[in-house]
Amino acid sequence: MPGEIDYSKINIIPDQDTAEWWEGTKRHKFLVRQCKQCGHKWFPPFPACAKCTSMDLTWYETAGKGVIHSYVVVTQPILAAFVTAVPYVVGLIELDDCHEADGRLTRVAGVMKDDEAEVAIGLPVEVVFEPTGDPNFIMPRWKICGTASNTWKFTE
Amino acid sequence: MGALTDKYCIVGVGETRFMKASNRTPLSMACEAVKKAMDDAGLTAREVDAITSFQIADSTDVANVAQALGIRINYGSVAYSGGSTTEALTAHAIGLIEGGYCNTVAIFRSMNGRTGRRMGGQAPGGVVPPSRAEGDAQFYMPWGFTTPAQHFAPSAMRYLHDFGASTKSFAEVASAFRYHAGLNPKALMRAPMTIEDHQRSRWVAKPFRLLDCCLETDVASAFIVTSRERAYDLRQPPVFILGGSARTYADNPAWNHSRLRPYLQAGNFARQRVWGMSGIRPEDIDVLSIYDAFTYTVILQLEAYGFCAIGEAAEFVKGGRLRIDHELPTNLSGGHLSEGYAHGVALVNEVVRQLRHRADDSCPGWAEGRHTYDRQAGCRQVRRARFGASLGWGTETRGSCLILRSASA
Ligand SMILES: [Zn+2]
Repeated sequence: MPGEIDYSKINIIPDQDTAEWWEGTKRHKFLVRQCKQCGHKWFPPFPACAKCTSMDLTWYETAGKGVIHSYVVVTQPILAAFVTAVPYVVGLIELDDCHEADGRLTRVAGVMKDDEAEVAIGLPVEVVFEPTGDPNFIMPRWKICGTASNTWKFTE
Repeated sequence: MGALTDKYCIVGVGETRFMKASNRTPLSMACEAVKKAMDDAGLTAREVDAITSFQIADSTDVANVAQALGIRINYGSVAYSGGSTTEALTAHAIGLIEGGYCNTVAIFRSMNGRTGRRMGGQAPGGVVPPSRAEGDAQFYMPWGFTTPAQHFAPSAMRYLHDFGASTKSFAEVASAFRYHAGLNPKALMRAPMTIEDHQRSRWVAKPFRLLDCCLETDVASAFIVTSRERAYDLRQPPVFILGGSARTYADNPAWNHSRLRPYLQAGNFARQRVWGMSGIRPEDIDVLSIYDAFTYTVILQLEAYGFCAIGEAAEFVKGGRLRIDHELPTNLSGGHLSEGYAHGVALVNEVVRQLRHRADDSCPGWAEGRHTYDRQAGCRQVRRARFGASLGWGTETRGSCLILRSASA
């Protein structure tokens, strides 16, 4: 397990485009934006549909499962909140149930609960929600939830 | 060909020293860089009538530079943006002069990139205090995903995965540019670097090691754009602007990780326009600058602009291909990786100097264009320098480029 993240050292400022997304995390929901006109789904919650320009939008609650598309292993901390967390892995996760309009899977970034040794491209992951110490913010993290036959790991 | 191909020139270049700690204001450094570029061109303050710059809340306003140097400007503005703005402001300058708004434009970037505001939010001397996650930072800061190294690393990781490449290709890039820095008295890092030196350097954000990252630097650099007709009267051989990309964005312009594939970075969307407008081809380029925020950004841009096919750059850079006296001399100043990080302006300046045949190296006659081509003796001038290019990089989602030719081509 990576070390603790000190969320008290990050001051999150929701705005009118994002407040509902943060509300969702409090109910352990990982939301993505969905266009009511064409069904396109995207993250983060930009306020218009990039496929049809509609601003008639809703939220889609994903099952929070996906596959690691790529990742970075951060070994040098930059933010104060992450000094005790290094080394940690940020995964780029393709969500199983969120397609963009062209069929491509919607991609999100998130901090893995797993160590570098366990992470590999192609592994299935699921979202978990962890407290931050501030009841107004619950943070999504991702953890490996199975195996896969065709995985790739950076071994240098 | 572009409507304005060959009508505008870069006529003056200048910069401060590349420093680890300037102990100076961005204003003072900007004045020095602009003054040196004017002196280089043989222009007086009365003959420059526009100044533009770019910054990220870390520099000085053009009005201050104009006032300090006694330049009355017919146009001045500051763009709030990063790496690929150098070439963008060159395109702005051409449009402004063509439209009759001004005659001669000085473009500068001045920053204490190491002792002042550092990229990615790192404070001088270490990690930052509590951070405000607002705007789109709400969705990367709480994941510990903020710096350029962290943002580009997953793309690099996926590239290695997709093409079976190794980071030895990154080492080839770093080592070639360091060799050039050894021939550049201005460069911050001049000691030779082997492939093994690179591979032994510590990890920053895997797959990037320390020697994959550019040098945070305190520096100001500047160049001057004017019309061909004015350029003929000035001190230096003019370097002609053939064309380029002012600032092209990829399909998902804001979010790096939303793009379909790493190799679909901005340059891929600019390539056809760039070469069509310039009237030359990648194989015509004698001197190349590529925005090397990281070694990997060189790999991607070689592919994006057609110097090799997608997926081939890791192989393409092997065997010293990017070194002077080899097939594609690239970042002859040492680039951001070894000369110092000047946000792209100094990369243009190097191409200009090479195309004038006046690389400021250790040859006693360099200022008159007399070079020995003796690398052991510190000559950095390429023998044949007819066409050059500077490829600018903001993130993978935004890029720019400038295609130049020498007066003798
Ligand atoms: Zn839509």
